[in-house]
Amino acid sequence: MLLSSTNQEEEDDEVASKGGSELFAVRRATFLTIFLFSSVTAVTFRVFFTRLRRQRVDREAEMVSTVANVDVKQKDADHALVVAISCSAVLEDADDGDVHRVGVAFPLLQALQSVNRHLVEANSSESLLFDVLLITTDERRQRQSARIVSSTKHYGLEVSRFCFSDGEDFVESLLENQVQLFLSTEPEEVALVWQRGVPSSLLGHQTWSSPSEQLRVLLCGDDVIAAAAAESAQRFWSQLGAMRRRFGVLGSPVSVAVMTAHGGRRGFADALATLRSCGLNADEAHCLAGAPRGPILELLRPHVLLGGGLR
Amino acid sequence: MVKMSVEPVKVKELQICASSNGEKGDSWEEADELQQDRLGLIAEPKQPKPENAVTIAVSTRVLFRTEREQKVFERHGVEEYLRYQIEHENEPFAPGPAFPFVKALEAVNSRLRQLYPQSEELFDIVLVTYNHAHVGVRLINTINHHNLFIERFCMTGGSSPIGYLKAWHTNLYLSADAEKVREALAEGIAAATMFMPEKQTEVSASQLRVAFDGDAVLFSDESERIFKAHGLDRFFEHERENEDTLLDHGPLKGFLEALGKLQKKFYAKGQRLDCPIRTYLVTARSAASSGIRALKTLRAWGLEIDEALFLAGAPKGPMLEKIRPHIYFDDQMFHVEGAAEMGTVAAHVPYGVAQKRDARQAGK
Repeated sequence: MLLSSTNQEEEDDEVASKGGSELFAVRRATFLTIFLFSSVTAVTFRVFFTRLRRQRVDREAEMVSTVANVDVKQKDADHALVVAISCSAVLEDADDGDVHRVGVAFPLLQALQSVNRHLVEANSSESLLFDVLLITTDERRQRQSARIVSSTKHYGLEVSRFCFSDGEDFVESLLENQVQLFLSTEPEEVALVWQRGVPSSLLGHQTWSSPSEQLRVLLCGDDVIAAAAAESAQRFWSQLGAMRRRFGVLGSPVSVAVMTAHGGRRGFADALATLRSCGLNADEAHCLAGAPRGPILELLRPHVLLGGGLR
Repeated sequence: MVKMSVEPVKVKELQICASSNGEKGDSWEEADELQQDRLGLIAEPKQPKPENAVTIAVSTRVLFRTEREQKVFERHGVEEYLRYQIEHENEPFAPGPAFPFVKALEAVNSRLRQLYPQSEELFDIVLVTYNHAHVGVRLINTINHHNLFIERFCMTGGSSPIGYLKAWHTNLYLSADAEKVREALAEGIAAATMFMPEKQTEVSASQLRVAFDGDAVLFSDESERIFKAHGLDRFFEHERENEDTLLDHGPLKGFLEALGKLQKKFYAKGQRLDCPIRTYLVTARSAASSGIRALKTLRAWGLEIDEALFLAGAPKGPMLEKIRPHIYFDDQMFHVEGAAEMGTVAAHVPYGVAQKRDARQAGK
């Protein structure tokens, strides 16, 4: 703003100010244009980046999130026997209420806990324990995560971790969590996990779900020789064998049985010898040589059944 | 059965993994048949379905001699016992009291297979033992060593074998443990306790010979009760009065029946004289009087017995020594011991009123 002084000066000033105000107007216009332009650009960029960030956040939400259960003492992953159970097998949907109903794997889970209890009683610093993980294998279940956690708490389940997967990568998360045994009521899931080399058992079909004092594991002898090629199977048998040896021959809270459905005594002896070479001595052993499995299974009443045509 | 590592039939199994037990069993049998067809030969005879066969369950202590191991168990406990077994895994056991019997069953089987190649009506032997699986390898090494045809095993690892006996449709259970034998009898399964005789007379390798006592073995113990309560005279009187009344059946009637069924298969092919199964009744009853009721009962049951020996109270030992059965069933330890003294493999059926008498005598 120019200040006015004398007339002559005013005349000069007027001329000068007229030229000056024109310059000012141009300057102002330019300034405004630049200002508007940069604002629009800034807003556009901001919107764009925000959207980009949200997309990344969404993708992160799609990936599996593994959550530790703070109520339960975490196990030493290097020495524990990690068991992942499909959530649907342990906690069934309830139409109402905050808490799920118990599923077919509930007694199995209690048996696993009982074994852990006995192990810790014998040796308070025992690290070879069952480390139980609950895993959701579909999006619907994944969305019920809060309710799953509260149900687990409600029943006092010793679950050390939850894997909330939407199903796409659940096998990857099993491998990441060093799972050695996978349990599910879905045949497709069991077959998929077996293919990736992790021992897995189908629940509820030929396995038992009534409460039991003893965890009963059944290995199908027919598959032992072939499965022995995989390091994961060898490691699993070795750990199971070591766990079994923590207890005496009689009155053990965990019992291992072997059943050969086909072939004769040669295959049966080979299966027993193979398991023993991996450090696992079975308690019970049955060689059916073609006899029907049903009646024997009804007496064995396994919680976990490994092998038997589900590879 | 020759196992191949790559089998197209396995794919079929995978697809039906969600089906029921029964269906699954069928599909595996189909897989077996396909396997045989593909190979064009049968490596080993296919095992019969338990319900079609005459299933004999034998325990390790009667099939083989395991006295030394028993001592280790009794003196040092089960852990030491298992360790000992594993250590001696490559040492086969010696034959036990049931060994010649099992060999004779196999001889009958080969004759039956020649005449009826597709039939499942055969003897089926299952090793049923309390033992843990640790002992399995040694048992199989022993079976291989002696060339026995046993392909079915039931090692219960300390659990009761009774449920498994039923699952295997057992027709006869032989064990060294009297308690388990009693449990089996209580469940309606023919069973007997076997003992190792001091000496063993030689028995036929080609003809199976089975001898039975009458009362409380093939028949019920009702007459023995009369004899025990009221003496011999009352016993004779009772038998005469009830000559036309059938005796009730005893625990081993079913086994005799099963043997009879197999015998008829040989008769049907004209092999009556040459039959590899021969049955005997060796009873203290006398032919002229009390024996009549026994014979009438057997006839009414449609059971044939090849030789009936009525001893009228005479000792059984010498007679059995002449017969040379692979096994002789009696409910009284007195007779079992008498037979064993003369080299006959005798098995005790702990059934009926005689058991209390035995217990009292043992107490003395």
